[in-house]
Amino acid sequence: MKLHRLLIAFCVLCIACKKDIKEQEGTLQITFKNVVNGAALKLNTTNYTNAAGETFTISRFRYFISNIALIKMDNSELKLPAAYYLINEADSASKTIDIPAPGGEYRGITFMVGVDSIRNVSGAQTGALDPVSGMFWSWNSGYIMAQLEGTSPVSTAANNALTFHIGGFQGQYSALQTIPLISPISLSVSEIRHPQITINADAYAWFNQPNLVRFQTISTIHVPGEDAWKIATNYRNMFRITDVTDL
Amino acid sequence: MTRYLIYTACFFLLIWSCRRGSDVRPSGPQPYTLNLPANFPQPVYDLSQNPLTVQGVALGRRLFYDPRLSRDSTISCGFCHQQFAAFAHFDHPLSHGIDNNTGFRSVPGLFNLIWQRDFMWDGGVNHLEIQPLTPITDPNEMGEDLAHLIAKLNADAKYRGLFNDAFGAGEINSQKVFKALAQFMATMNSFDSKYDSVMRKAPGVQFTAEEASGYKIFQNNCASCHKEPLFTDGSYRNNGLPINASLHDAGRMRITNNTNDYLKFKVPSLRNIIKSPPYMHDGRFYDIFNVFEHYSSGIILQIPQTPTVDPLLRNGLPLTPSEQRDLYFFLNTLTDPGFINSKALSEIVITN
Repeated sequence: MKLHRLLIAFCVLCIACKKDIKEQEGTLQITFKNVVNGAALKLNTTNYTNAAGETFTISRFRYFISNIALIKMDNSELKLPAAYYLINEADSASKTIDIPAPGGEYRGITFMVGVDSIRNVSGAQTGALDPVSGMFWSWNSGYIMAQLEGTSPVSTAANNALTFHIGGFQGQYSALQTIPLISPISLSVSEIRHPQITINADAYAWFNQPNLVRFQTISTIHVPGEDAWKIATNYRNMFRITDVTDL
Repeated sequence: MTRYLIYTACFFLLIWSCRRGSDVRPSGPQPYTLNLPANFPQPVYDLSQNPLTVQGVALGRRLFYDPRLSRDSTISCGFCHQQFAAFAHFDHPLSHGIDNNTGFRSVPGLFNLIWQRDFMWDGGVNHLEIQPLTPITDPNEMGEDLAHLIAKLNADAKYRGLFNDAFGAGEINSQKVFKALAQFMATMNSFDSKYDSVMRKAPGVQFTAEEASGYKIFQNNCASCHKEPLFTDGSYRNNGLPINASLHDAGRMRITNNTNDYLKFKVPSLRNIIKSPPYMHDGRFYDIFNVFEHYSSGIILQIPQTPTVDPLLRNGLPLTPSEQRDLYFFLNTLTDPGFINSKALSEIVITN
């Protein structure tokens, strides 16, 4: 009789565990499409015009995505395990990320552009956070959250360069931005459903609203501070969900 | 009978435990025990996140002395950080680098780094592990690209073996390099000077009359910033040095963008001070008596004074020649011969 009970309890336990594992399964795929004023970004070769009417090219466009959370149907947020991604226009593999997610239905996602303050003060890191990427300031410890480099004929810097290295994780000019994006249709994640989201990241937004940037006056930022914060406040507006495929 | 049973059980247990013990062959890195003095505060560096091992420390030491960490394989960390100068650069006011480049600050001594909150004269580096990134990549120092360095190390069979021994199998990455260097740096500790022996009441060790007088002078004039037992409070202060117009060094303000930090630099430790001239962030004083002179009479000579000059120093720290002499004798007791002669920290010649 005793053994019988124990066996039943054991079976229940097994089933319970199995169900737990099943619930964890699911993937959300995000593809970042970098654009300038809506047109696909082409490095080096294409001339673009900023909101101030100045022409420019882009040679490098990179940003960190981290601290991803899912927005549940009741608007509460479900934090996902810590993961850091460096989106690099020059590396197409970097632009699609697969995020393991618990099964369920979600209204959208939130993520941070940049690297949270804790990882900025925790010493040597690996993976996307390996300073080998160059997305790290050695003289003033901290990650470059987002980077845009290029040229503009109106830039007063050497070789008409544009250098926008945006960072700073503390104080009033912290460049950290958390972006909530609500999906046009709800996202159902399960063992058999892997929603794919396409997010446009528009470099035009960096220099547009609310802080209009003229390359004639600002062409180089490579320290944390007010200018970096202004750009970060602008690029907060650069993301749009443009496509959702619910497979 | 019960007793017999217990004995038998114990006997078998003994055999069994011995067998298990002999089964476990020593493999993987061996723990390295760091003995720290009881009168020091808790280290800032979290050693639990990078447990020291014999192999890790040895690898860090090799990296520290390997000139291949620089772009043209001429300059190692140890090139500028000389052990006999408490790992400062003896006789060099400003740091040197590849291609005959000169930096704009003096080379700080390296010791007791695990108690340091942040690094560099301006405190721009916030963690011991990433500190080496600055000199390795700075074009005025070792001028190497981090990715290139990692590729060089991965291409080197000897290093692949050493990294495997210290951190287990796998690619060498920057984190392993930095953790190995941090392990070695964590062993660069100085707390066995005569001063320490006196404080620990070691039998037969006493200050001489001059040293004892110098210690009093130190306590009355210097100790609030050069706080014992580390001989620094880790703060940033403007000690009233006139700005060096050719270097244009704003100090801590460069990091914080705060005008209140203009011309502020880290308070350096006074340990091993007599062994590590020249002094100040730009190495402008070759002799410790020049430093005394600055504090004694140099600060008040400046008109107008920079507003950020430390309030404790605005009126200078007047010291008579005999007080300066006694202070000099006291500072000599902060030299740690065991540290600057330690065989465990000394340069290794890398031939392969």
